[in-house]
Amino acid sequence: MAILEVKNLSIEFGGLKAVEDFNLSLEKGELIAIIGPNGAGKTTIFNMLTGIYPPSNGTIHLDGENLLGRKPFQFAQAGIARTFQNIRLFSNASVIDNVKMANTADSNENFFESILRTPGMVEKERQLDEHALELLSLFGLEGQADTIAKNLPYGAQRRLEIVRALMLNPKVLLLDEPVAGMITTELDEMAQLVKELREKHGQTIILIEHHMNFVMPIVDRIIVLNFGKTISEGTPAEIQKDPRVIEAYLGGGFHGNA
Amino acid sequence: MKNKLNSILPPVVLVLIYFLIQLLLSKKILNPYHIQILMFACVNIMLTVSLNIVNGFTGQFCIGHAGFMSLGAYGSAIITTMLFGGMKMDPNLRIPVFLLSLLVGGILAAIVGFLIGLPTLKIKGDYLAIVTLAFGEIVRSTLRLIEPIGAARGMIGIPKITNLAWMFFFVMITLYITRNFVYSRYGRASIAIRDNEIAADAMGINTTRYKVIAFVFAAFIAGVAGGLYAHLMTFIQPDSFSFVKSNELLVYLYAGGSGSITGSVLGALVLTIIPEALRFLGNLTNWRIVIYAVILVLIMLYKPSGLFGGKEISFLRINRDSFRKPFNKFNDPKLADKQNS
Ligand SMILES: Nc1ncnc2c1ncn2[C@@H]1O[C@H](COP(=O)(O)OP(=O)(O)OP(=O)(O)O)[C@@H](O)[C@H]1O
Ligand SMILES: [Mg+2]
Repeated sequence: MAILEVKNLSIEFGGLKAVEDFNLSLEKGELIAIIGPNGAGKTTIFNMLTGIYPPSNGTIHLDGENLLGRKPFQFAQAGIARTFQNIRLFSNASVIDNVKMANTADSNENFFESILRTPGMVEKERQLDEHALELLSLFGLEGQADTIAKNLPYGAQRRLEIVRALMLNPKVLLLDEPVAGMITTELDEMAQLVKELREKHGQTIILIEHHMNFVMPIVDRIIVLNFGKTISEGTPAEIQKDPRVIEAYLGGGFHGNA
Repeated sequence: MKNKLNSILPPVVLVLIYFLIQLLLSKKILNPYHIQILMFACVNIMLTVSLNIVNGFTGQFCIGHAGFMSLGAYGSAIITTMLFGGMKMDPNLRIPVFLLSLLVGGILAAIVGFLIGLPTLKIKGDYLAIVTLAFGEIVRSTLRLIEPIGAARGMIGIPKITNLAWMFFFVMITLYITRNFVYSRYGRASIAIRDNEIAADAMGINTTRYKVIAFVFAAFIAGVAGGLYAHLMTFIQPDSFSFVKSNELLVYLYAGGSGSITGSVLGALVLTIIPEALRFLGNLTNWRIVIYAVILVLIMLYKPSGLFGGKEISFLRINRDSFRKPFNKFNDPKLADKQNS
């Protein structure tokens, strides 16, 4: 059974059909990409998959569980974690606290244990710290654990957002343009990291990207969106040859193939 | 070792300060009036620190905090004065009843905090400001109408039980639990909401729940502070807890730096003492509100982060190392070895 099953997902913004009949059946361990020109509706799909926008039509099932009608934090707790196209870190908190913040629902020490700082609570904090450091080290950020997030270089901020999402131990990880604004070397590094997440950790991932040379070598499947509609779907090789895709990009002023 | 010292040092310092003050009192360098001012400053510290939990750490905007203070003041005064005979109370009962009354005052404020916080904090946006403003005034107007507790004339004959030792004790507890709150998942959730509510939501944080917890916690501390105030003044009046008082607390908070416990302590301490020290210039009470408003505007314009803007002295901070190293050493020999090598 698919881990994420999305049927006929649609949404309108004051008459504008931003996404129309989006369908997706994602297997566990798959790594896929959603591509399309600016304004195609890619981020809007993520916003629906994380409960931020309630769709006007369609269904979302995660591991067989219907998620519609739940609040965004419940989507996250159910196992859909994301990063944001415009970085949204907890900018005044330290790097490690950013990661630990994503664990709030899982930690179970109660309020009184916390304000009295009981030995049990301190021990849980220590374990949480260790776990956060482990995840940070996957992305080479453990050395900056105590840096204030807003003082990190841009590329590191993007990586931190991924680590923070991983702290939720998500069933599906959504990455919205993880290499936007990065330089070529960072881009290759990120491709490697995303690949490893999938290969070593079995992480199921959907990513949105404009950089084709980032996407093509690492994903299993690509879904192409234009004006909210799915115009093509297939392996990277199939997509590259599809005349509809080429046309959409030529017409839509696609800028990212660099 | 250093951590042990760090945690014992502040209470020790406070006790030393206490005895120094007693010494200065006996040498007549300080007089009871000075002590009274210092105790007011302590009440204001508790109120400002608690306001900081909501406004500074959770990024919400409460502007009726004096309302919680008044609930605590009246709640505790009713216990000691109306239920247990006030001045005529059995001396053996004084302290237990006093402590009970503070607890009741705090709980009363917390319950009301919950009742107004839950519906208000569910809605995104700055509704809390409007609601707490109205709440403060509603409490004040209602208290003015209740005859058994003195209506607008207020309550008199409250036993004077609060003294400097109690005040220091409660300030210490407030700072301790507030610091622990900030460095727990509750504080982290609050800060996440403050820094980026959408991201907090996306990271599985039930934002309404954690906002309400922070708000209720703050209301409780403000209630206890109100109870201490009542048993320091021996006389309370609805109008002492008006918008002017809430406004004062906002000035202390933003002057010290929101999001810094140290800042709240200094803001409240300094700004309570300065107007008193300037008494020789004449009665400033009427000018206070104007002066405070000007201070607030100047701070917002020139140093929005306040005096301490997010910085903390070491007692009010918990470094990760402080709980990692000792545990590693005692519980995990492998890690301890690695650290030593
Ligand atoms: N909250 C909203 N209200 C109104 N319109 C919206 C809203 N969110 C998105 N849209 C519109 O929906 C369409 C799709 O936007 P979306 O952000 O999903 O595009 P995208 O594919 O992510 O583009 P990009 O590559 O530029 O990030 C756009 O026309 C956008 O203006
Ligand atoms: Mg987008």
